[in-house]
Amino acid sequence: MQIILPDRSTRQLDCGTLPIEEILHRFGINPVSVIVTRNGRLVPETAYAEEDDEIRIIRVAHGG
Amino acid sequence: MLTPDSRDVRCTSTPCSEPAVIRLRDSGQYLCSTHCIRHVENLFSRTVEDQRMIAPGDRIAVALSGGKDSTALLLLLHAALPAWPGVTLIAVTVDEGIAGYRDETIGAAVELTVRLGVEHHIVSFASLFGGDLDVLLKGRESRSCTVCGILRRRALATAARQAGATRIAIGHNLDDEAQTVLMNLLRGDFPHLVQDAASGEPECFIPRIKPLAWLSEREIVTYLILTGNYRELPECPYTGFALRSEVRAMLTGLEFRHPGTMKNLIRSRDTIRQHTPRASGVGSVQRCRECGEHCSGEICQVCRILGRPG
Ligand SMILES: [Zn+2]
Ligand SMILES: [Zn+2]
Repeated sequence: MQIILPDRSTRQLDCGTLPIEEILHRFGINPVSVIVTRNGRLVPETAYAEEDDEIRIIRVAHGG
Repeated sequence: MLTPDSRDVRCTSTPCSEPAVIRLRDSGQYLCSTHCIRHVENLFSRTVEDQRMIAPGDRIAVALSGGKDSTALLLLLHAALPAWPGVTLIAVTVDEGIAGYRDETIGAAVELTVRLGVEHHIVSFASLFGGDLDVLLKGRESRSCTVCGILRRRALATAARQAGATRIAIGHNLDDEAQTVLMNLLRGDFPHLVQDAASGEPECFIPRIKPLAWLSEREIVTYLILTGNYRELPECPYTGFALRSEVRAMLTGLEFRHPGTMKNLIRSRDTIRQHTPRASGVGSVQRCRECGEHCSGEICQVCRILGRPG
């Protein structure tokens, strides 16, 4: 799956199906400071991501 | 492949089974798009009502930077107007003169006020203080956010007064408020901890209200995205608030491990305020010897920053 990080850089992740919070954890991102879209739709971090998904992580905290 | 049902989480409002867009970590609720928007609007209204922030006939000056918080604030206030007889709104944007940052946010602010049909005033540091922030800061960049905050507050108060406003509405959210409480505690700044700007203390006698004070940054950004009002804007290039960054990182970590921490911090402050006599605040109010504005010393903070007298 394709991950778009808060700084807009992209990463490819090949890890099957997993909860989005697990992805955040792998990138060292605290779920409190971001929101996430999956294929353009907002989802809670406990939703799952799969192989073909595009996961975008948006930082909500300013200055951090 | 997971079925949509196992892949998504459902809204926990009853009766509703739409896919959730957000999890509220402190209450454990999952909300769909419709219920999330309703939740934000309700929390906003409850904050305004519980703290009696708005009275009939008020003219509210909304501090509109064009960023996410003030955009949400103006949208929510504007949507609530029909419920408040005789209440009018104006927007005030302060142009600090920060190169490469402000133009775009001011553009967003103008677009929003035109779309909503809200009277909009733009005041600049250059016209009020004789120079842009970039110029005024020379040699003290490390204090940028403190200096800017003091000048911005004066600019807002001046513009609000000229426009005949009876309240100034500020887009401070839950995260901002919790950070401020902790910063005041860490600095041992009791006067600022207990001072309540909603009462009009200390320097500006137009009460400052914060209707977003119980909404988290996540809730606000989610609301903007869901209502089609989110846009990415440049970040302010100044990062002169070292303590705030540390406090933010610390609180975000605590909120993750102990959901509800930020709200508890604000409740603690409110309890301390309730038990504190009014005179314990920032001190008696006088008038500045240089500019005549209300202040707590002989010369106000603005005049000290601007190097008056001298
Ligand atoms: Zn729902
Ligand atoms: Zn003065």
